[in-house]
Amino acid sequence: MNKELEHNFVELLEKHQNIIHKVCRLYTNNYDAHNDLFQEITIQLWRAYPKFRGDSKFSTWMYRVGLNTAITLYRKSKRRINTQGYDEVQFKIKAEDYDDTEEQQLKLLYKAVHHLNDIEKALVFLYLEDKNYREISETMGISEVNARVKMNRVKAKLKTILNP
Amino acid sequence: MDELELLKKDWQKNDKDYPKLSYNDIYKMILKKSSSIVKWIFIISLLEFVFWGFISFAVKDTESMQRFKSYNAENIMIPLTIIGYAILAYFFYKFFMNYRTISVTDNAKKLMENILKTRRTVKQYVAFNLIFLFISTFVVLGIQFNKDDQIVSMIDKAATNGELFKFYATTILITLLVLGVMILIFLGFYYLIYGILLKRLNKNYRDLKKLEV
Repeated sequence: MNKELEHNFVELLEKHQNIIHKVCRLYTNNYDAHNDLFQEITIQLWRAYPKFRGDSKFSTWMYRVGLNTAITLYRKSKRRINTQGYDEVQFKIKAEDYDDTEEQQLKLLYKAVHHLNDIEKALVFLYLEDKNYREISETMGISEVNARVKMNRVKAKLKTILNP
Repeated sequence: MDELELLKKDWQKNDKDYPKLSYNDIYKMILKKSSSIVKWIFIISLLEFVFWGFISFAVKDTESMQRFKSYNAENIMIPLTIIGYAILAYFFYKFFMNYRTISVTDNAKKLMENILKTRRTVKQYVAFNLIFLFISTFVVLGIQFNKDDQIVSMIDKAATNGELFKFYATTILITLLVLGVMILIFLGFYYLIYGILLKRLNKNYRDLKKLEV
């Protein structure tokens, strides 16, 4: 039984691992920290898995546990080497897809998102993942109105970073 | 286009650029131990309970405690001991009940609140201990002033020299000083451990609460 549970879990996680990578991408800024956080989120997911009822989608459930681990449970890695351009190297923002200004803008945007606080990052993350305000409010435990107001503020903040 | 929409477009496009962990990589990960702050808070809290429990046991058989028995002050000491244990049991129970409610699948706010609540229980327990220490020290001192042969003779001597006030004042001041230093050490220790451990959680909780005003 336990083996079967393990097997199901690992298979599901292998399939949906990008969700965790994305959380790590926002909350860490170097390779080691990325792996550290990935590891911790995986452990938290595994521990919570026996109680996963399947009444929500596995991926939805992963968003919640992943963000909770990043915001609340995870102790930041000591290895905090601020690797400049981690995003570009690690995630290969592609030059050919954009004209220069758009590529430049994306670089600045990723950088700006990294400077947001942990809570703002969580909101941006859910937004980028195409979650609606109801889901954002449920994941964070705030009202929909507050989620919307805060998102607008973050948008304005990003705008001023790009167009000072 | 909205900046965030631009980012979203790129974010959803580069799915394939993430590292790809194999089944075995992930399997190895679930066998490892967590290093989450909840685990650390749990360990440190248990150590606190053990520490204070140990202290109360350790002083029981000391020489001064034996001497204390000869004062016939059981009517004060026995209730104090019973109250001490009852309160320990109460806090321990509360701590476990709080700890069990911590669930990583709650929403972010609830999770943070539950962790902070667990923490608060242990904090209250330690505060209680410090207050208890303070009160019992003075109760003991009061008993000694009346019943300890050695101290009573010192008081008599001081009285004949007309230095009774000086004697009381010095004894009480020294006791206060020792207690003060002990309490400061505890608070410093606390500040250090929990300051480091909970700094990020506290900040994030504040930021989250700020969204609601």
